[in-house]
Amino acid sequence: MDLIIGTLEQGLIYAILALGVYITYKILDFPDLTADGSFPLGAAITATMISNGGNPVLAMGVSLLAGAAAGLVTGLIHVKCRVRDLLSGIITMTALYSINLHIAGMSNVPLFGMTTLFKNGFVDGVFGGGLAPYKTLIIVLAVAMIGKLLMDLFLKTKAGYLLRAVGDNDAVVTSLARDKGTVKIMGLAIANGLIALSGSVMCQQQRFFEIQMGTGAIVIGLASVIIGINLFRRLTFIKATTAVVLGSILYKGCVAAAISFGMSANDMKLVTAVLFLVILIAGNWMDRKGEPA
Amino acid sequence: MISLQQIKKIYNPGTVDAMCLFDDFNLDILDGDFVSVVGSNGSGKTSMLNIICGNIGVDGGKILIDGDDITHRKDFKRYRRIGRVYQDPAMGTCPSMTILENMSLADNKGRPYGLTRGTNRKRAEEYREHLRQLNLGLEDKMNVKVGSLSGGQRQAMALIMSTMTPIDFLILDEHTAALDPRTAETIMELTDRIVREKHLTTIMVTHNLRYAIEYGNRIVMMHQGAAILDRRNGKKAATRVEDLLGLFNEISIECGN
Amino acid sequence: MKKVFAILCTVLTIALMLTGCGGQKAENHYTIGIGQFGPHGSLDNCREGFLLGLAEEGIVEGENLTVKYQNANFDGSTTNTIAQAFVSDKVDLICAIATPMAQAAYNAAEGSDIPVVFTAITDVELAGLTEGNITGTSDMLPVEDQLKLIRAMMPDAKRIGILYTTSESNSISTIATYKELAPDYGFEIVDTGVATQADVPLAVDNLVTKVDCISNLTDNTVVGALPVILDAAGEKNIPVFGSEIEQVKLGCVAAEGLDYIDLGKQTGRMAAKVLKGEAKASEIPYEVLKESQLTINSDVMAELNLTLPEDMMSRATDVAQ
Repeated sequence: MDLIIGTLEQGLIYAILALGVYITYKILDFPDLTADGSFPLGAAITATMISNGGNPVLAMGVSLLAGAAAGLVTGLIHVKCRVRDLLSGIITMTALYSINLHIAGMSNVPLFGMTTLFKNGFVDGVFGGGLAPYKTLIIVLAVAMIGKLLMDLFLKTKAGYLLRAVGDNDAVVTSLARDKGTVKIMGLAIANGLIALSGSVMCQQQRFFEIQMGTGAIVIGLASVIIGINLFRRLTFIKATTAVVLGSILYKGCVAAAISFGMSANDMKLVTAVLFLVILIAGNWMDRKGEPA
Repeated sequence: MISLQQIKKIYNPGTVDAMCLFDDFNLDILDGDFVSVVGSNGSGKTSMLNIICGNIGVDGGKILIDGDDITHRKDFKRYRRIGRVYQDPAMGTCPSMTILENMSLADNKGRPYGLTRGTNRKRAEEYREHLRQLNLGLEDKMNVKVGSLSGGQRQAMALIMSTMTPIDFLILDEHTAALDPRTAETIMELTDRIVREKHLTTIMVTHNLRYAIEYGNRIVMMHQGAAILDRRNGKKAATRVEDLLGLFNEISIECGN
Repeated sequence: MKKVFAILCTVLTIALMLTGCGGQKAENHYTIGIGQFGPHGSLDNCREGFLLGLAEEGIVEGENLTVKYQNANFDGSTTNTIAQAFVSDKVDLICAIATPMAQAAYNAAEGSDIPVVFTAITDVELAGLTEGNITGTSDMLPVEDQLKLIRAMMPDAKRIGILYTTSESNSISTIATYKELAPDYGFEIVDTGVATQADVPLAVDNLVTKVDCISNLTDNTVVGALPVILDAAGEKNIPVFGSEIEQVKLGCVAAEGLDYIDLGKQTGRMAAKVLKGEAKASEIPYEVLKESQLTINSDVMAELNLTLPEDMMSRATDVAQ
């Protein structure tokens, strides 16, 4: 049971990251590696602010803005300097390694015993007694749901439509007399804002910042998006954003399952890959069943 | 009025493939003109459209719209008052968005794309009316993704979308070339109706000589970056397809065919 | 007949349930989770030593001990999942090897009463792990002894070069200690940081032109690239001092270092105390390995024309023999 709660917690925190990756990978069709740098950026800013007694929610807000700035930089490099999408992300991600190190001051910053989103006067008061073990899960669920709902709302606005258009057929955006470069930059900013927010929450949940915590963030995000979108393709009543959140939880579930099977440590990554593949094949198979004979 | 003055355009400058397409090319499109542009491949028809819309730059000369020099203006800025329909039906609409969403997008052209609702419920009824008049059954498919529509339906959508908001010029880039004859006919009739209703100055590039003759008040034939034929109104009315074909043959012979 | 059958079934079921509940754990059988941050020589030695230390205190795997071992393969998010799995399995104790694993274990175990015993953390204060139901051993290097060794072997040397990885907080605190103590021995420290192992060749080529010798930390990335460092230093006849016996075997001239197996054993003994209930983890302050071990490679010493005074030679282990 504890492991299920733990998996849900991890899955929901990374779901925010996955929502950001959904924007760049699916909506904008832009493979964005900035994530490996913007995820720890959010964490670094949060670690520094909390170490100095700052308000955790304020830290989350600043992280979001910083992530948006990182996305903006990638966008500018791509649009103004005409660098390929993949390379633009790599450039920003590489620069962020040094920047994050400067922000955090050290490569490892512990936050044990400090006031975080999960450990503060308000939370301790509300979650007494029976609810205490679920405290982290409830808070993380709230944050993820707020993020998802805001994104759903945004995608229904005029700006959201434009964002979807630029990834779908950017000639239409130009015909509408809008600068497709600007729209792409906006998308990258929003996405990386979400990714940095996810890093901020992660840092507060695990109570330390580690410079390497961003390595592989884009892979986790992509896996979550792909699993979610593929598996729930046929269930049209499930929105894409919901599917992505579920995909993130499922991905973390695969990892947890591999560990709890007691697999040899060296085989764990192989097992995760196999589980991942099984889910994708199941998704394709369900697709085929639905097709007319 | 669109005025192309002393346009010079060289493709692949400074290389072995350098080709001077336009050299001192001049053309004035007056308000209210519906110009059909014909010509062989490589004559400069599409290049001329791209130069007007800003998709490609020029090496010399000026482009003026109503006296305003737009030669160095970015493409997306020019599209504020220009509508364009491409040859490929897939280029004019967003396939993963529904008909309703596409039309809402197009309806907002010229206004800010902010955080207000993307689709206006009240306008949705008007869109439905619009589509009903096409007689293509699209009014019942408002929530269908455009990607699953046929080529003709998508081209009809593209035409509607590009003319939904007030524009000064309509650019049609061989927009019936990829459609079957019946659908092409439907689209041409729709085009004609819209142009008349909205009094749009139109440039239509086409390979279909019959359309070029039947529609519009002016016909221009391009060859190697120059207009070798330019007839309006009365003179155009008197032109027939055979005349155009004859001219085509002449220039082919000249080129050594 | 049916009634009797039904009663018999019920009694049998209840009996099975009772036996199922009761007899799971034999008296004093322990289950522990060992979480290792990544596969690495020194960390593997820690684990081996840990089990040996437990065995010394009578807790032997297979007899009265079940060990669940997981390796995070240097992946941060996996450490969290591993720690959560251990807590969910309600192990009696978590052994965490290396800083990120220990922090993840500490985080996951809070709220439960599972003690955490760590090893291979250089700066425990910096990692924030001094308070709480946690204790362990630090692999803080005997910097002062190393400086004495270098001075003894190289009476005229002025500058010591140190290569480290910017992501290793342990390296940064050790270098701070070096810089604090070096002037007492007439040395200046020249440090160069790299981000990844791929940066090591260029960095070391640059470093060897500026220093008289190089000293290693327990920095995983740098130690992994030791052959490259030895090559570059060898060309300029610059000695490389190691931090551990394995490095001296590879070609470092000498080391005042740690035996990670001993470190592990010390940790195991601490863990045994906690398991047996003799003390609580929160009551035991963390320990540093008391004795450093002097290792030399006489072949390399001969190549570089270096000697060591008799009193140090006598307590040294020569890997070349």
